[in-house]
Amino acid sequence: MNRKVLLFLLIISANLVIGQQKKFQINGAARGYFLSNNLNLDESLDSVTTRKANYGHTLLDLGFSLTPNKNTEVIGMFRIRNELGGFWGGGVSFDVRQLSLKGIAGNVVKYEIGDIDLKMTPYTLFNTLEEGVVNEGDVFDLRREIVHYDMFYGNDNTWRMQGAKMNFGLEFGKHINSIDVNGFITRQRPTDGIAEPERVYGGGTIKIKQSDNLTIGLNSVNVFDLTETIQDSIQYKNNVHTFDVLYNKNITRNIKVGLKSEAGISGTSYNNYIDTRAPESLEDWFYDVALVAHIKDKNIKMELGYKDVGADFFSAGAQTKRIDYSRFPGLYQQITNSAVGRQISYTDMISGNTENSFKINEQLLPYFAGYNNISPYGIATPNRRGIYVNLLRTDSVKFRNSFLNASFMSQSRGTGTVNKKNFILLTAGTDIYMNDFFGWKKQLKVDLGIRYENTTRNGEEYEKGNLNSTFIDAGISWEFAKKLDLLVGTKLWLVNGTAYVNQRNQFNTVVNFDVIDYHFTENTYAAGMRYRFSDKNTLSVQYQVFDIQHKQSNSVDYGISQFSFLYSLFF
Amino acid sequence: MKKIALLLIVILFSSSCRKEDSNNFDGPNLNDLFGPFSIVETIKINKNTADFPSDNELFFSGELSKNTSWVITIIGETTGAKRTLTGTDRILSTDNAAWDGGANTFPGFGLENAFIEISFPKEENSPVLYDTVSITNTKIDNGYLITSFENGEGANWSKFNQTTVRGQIDCGTGESAKGNCHYGFNGTVPWDWAIGSVMVKPNSGTFGLPASASNLYFNMAFKPLENTGIGNTFLQFWFDEDDNGDGVFDEATEDRFIYEYWYEQGGWNLVSYKYSDIQFDEDGNQISTNGNGLPEPSKLVSINVFYLANKDNGNAKALIDHLIFTTNKPYTP
Repeated sequence: MNRKVLLFLLIISANLVIGQQKKFQINGAARGYFLSNNLNLDESLDSVTTRKANYGHTLLDLGFSLTPNKNTEVIGMFRIRNELGGFWGGGVSFDVRQLSLKGIAGNVVKYEIGDIDLKMTPYTLFNTLEEGVVNEGDVFDLRREIVHYDMFYGNDNTWRMQGAKMNFGLEFGKHINSIDVNGFITRQRPTDGIAEPERVYGGGTIKIKQSDNLTIGLNSVNVFDLTETIQDSIQYKNNVHTFDVLYNKNITRNIKVGLKSEAGISGTSYNNYIDTRAPESLEDWFYDVALVAHIKDKNIKMELGYKDVGADFFSAGAQTKRIDYSRFPGLYQQITNSAVGRQISYTDMISGNTENSFKINEQLLPYFAGYNNISPYGIATPNRRGIYVNLLRTDSVKFRNSFLNASFMSQSRGTGTVNKKNFILLTAGTDIYMNDFFGWKKQLKVDLGIRYENTTRNGEEYEKGNLNSTFIDAGISWEFAKKLDLLVGTKLWLVNGTAYVNQRNQFNTVVNFDVIDYHFTENTYAAGMRYRFSDKNTLSVQYQVFDIQHKQSNSVDYGISQFSFLYSLFF
Repeated sequence: MKKIALLLIVILFSSSCRKEDSNNFDGPNLNDLFGPFSIVETIKINKNTADFPSDNELFFSGELSKNTSWVITIIGETTGAKRTLTGTDRILSTDNAAWDGGANTFPGFGLENAFIEISFPKEENSPVLYDTVSITNTKIDNGYLITSFENGEGANWSKFNQTTVRGQIDCGTGESAKGNCHYGFNGTVPWDWAIGSVMVKPNSGTFGLPASASNLYFNMAFKPLENTGIGNTFLQFWFDEDDNGDGVFDEATEDRFIYEYWYEQGGWNLVSYKYSDIQFDEDGNQISTNGNGLPEPSKLVSINVFYLANKDNGNAKALIDHLIFTTNKPYTP
């Protein structure tokens, strides 16, 4: 009987697929993820915290795409998630993960409504990568992908929002090749009906392509409150308007040079706020200009640039951090007998135990100066000026992606003193395909990355600061049997010095400073195996050891070892 | 188009030099937060003899190495009156460290020496500075003084005291809230809460107060000494108004507003409330009177201060002093 039912369903399913081949598609992802954690901490320091913490889940993201006519597509995705150990409905959640409609109106205007992914320029709308990644190895990357997927952090720095966007293009015969127009409007916050007005984020870009050599863009993004959604008349506004220019010219057959730039202004206002700390309006500007060169036969790209981002330049869409470092991690939130809140570490990021932003934020979130003090808010970090150099060499064999980036920045306005901080940032990395050296068919890849950051400030004794942060990111992936990879990797942090970290209020005004002495090493080692059923379907097991050691006696040294099992399928 | 782009680039470069912001910085001054503390210019009072009616106010001046918390405490040698001045500014001057001769609360300063102590509570191992000022004339109160009991009882006053109670003006005991005299109640009344009262009246007519009750404050010093504690002691103030202006208060046809003040704490208390509030009870309800029901200070012809205490608690003793009306704000001793 069961066989007959199964056969019947199979035939029906096949007919459905064949009959509606172009009108109905299914895609999505499936995952099984299990983690077993062990806290390593001296018993004399902590006899309270439970050492073992096991958790995991299985989930299915079932997406479908309906195409009722050639110009319209409806996309929906449901998530069914079952926490391990939750049987017969306990611990099961059923959510709508995505719902959007898109199409082409009048064969001219593309539109998308519902859940949309948005990105503009690094100074207007840009989802900057979190700390702790410099060309990381596969052993870490495959777990980070899970966090990014869950938080809708696309590889191309997009933010997932809810609203509508449209796009259309115009082509011309003379003077201008084409004009692309993009616009969007999203809802950032519904009103609570009492004190918080509805908050909207909208903007767009006009990209004018004059020729293959010259492209000019006009960009605008605006956060604003709808005033009549509550009785009160308070209104927050953050407007950013920029223009960007990309000019390239072949000076020889082999060398292309050009100029890449973006400049703009921001204005932030808090209208009719009762709170006297709210500045009525703040305005500032930035520019970022770089000479670019591309040596084609060497596959080398170079940038030499100068930027100046004002201290009061605020761009909510570009400066929102992915991780809120003021929150304690979800796992082992407090440790020691004194129940000390645990600082976020790299192992929390990769395990998804951090408080992550799922939408843009009008406040500059607290950052961890030990990890990143020069650009905690991405390229658009306010109060930075200086030069930068970026070199990139791509190749098809051996050293396939090599890069060297250097920045020499300073503050444009002092914090707490007229003496300004100076920053040096060096980042380098490469992917070495060892199999290319030895002529092996199976891949043996070494990922190397290093980041060094130095912050100094001169002046009186109480103003002086010197913070060094060195980060090494390395990994090896070796296909030692067909589709079976051995993965190892490490992330090492060495941080020494004193940082004066800004404390900002809700209006982004600096109100105080945390003077923090950092003297720690943070080490993460991971090893595991991965079997690739296909590029989108893998099974991996890993063991990861993390520990943090401080030089100061008042800080707690501890470690977390973690075993993980991950089955991942995208279809 | 290329020309336009080049023009934009030229404009960009030509306007791209940010004005040097070398004199400003964000956030609090690090020197104030973490800099070393020292007294750059010693802090001193501008005069060591204070005649407040002519001097108006004294002030402290000096300079510190940083903005930090400072506290100036002035204590009267005889009265024990205390005035505290606080601030965080690096430079002390008449703008932020002036003393008008008043105290934080009752008792007020008399003709006496006052000892000055200047400290910096947030600075470890910082010095404490001392000085002395001699008060030769106390400050003049802004307001309508009803009585400070300095000149004895008025011709029209009346008193009530239980048979076992002594209620009278006492002078020269050093216990007064202001000046040299006060009124005291002292006695044991095991059969009744009522201890005694003193009804203060002008020698003729009204007290000459302004017409508006909404910005007029009644103030008095009250010091419960025995039979104290929450719920054990209170005062009743009877404000009698001559509504018809015939020069006589008639309880049957005119307003008598009764306002109660219950014990809050020991020591001298400043009892102060807006005159317009006497028409409401503690729940905010309008009280019933026999006149027009409107608090009209210009028609006030007598104030009766009635002292009551728990009859089961033994002897009751309390002092009152310095009945004064002020405009716009409560009295500052």
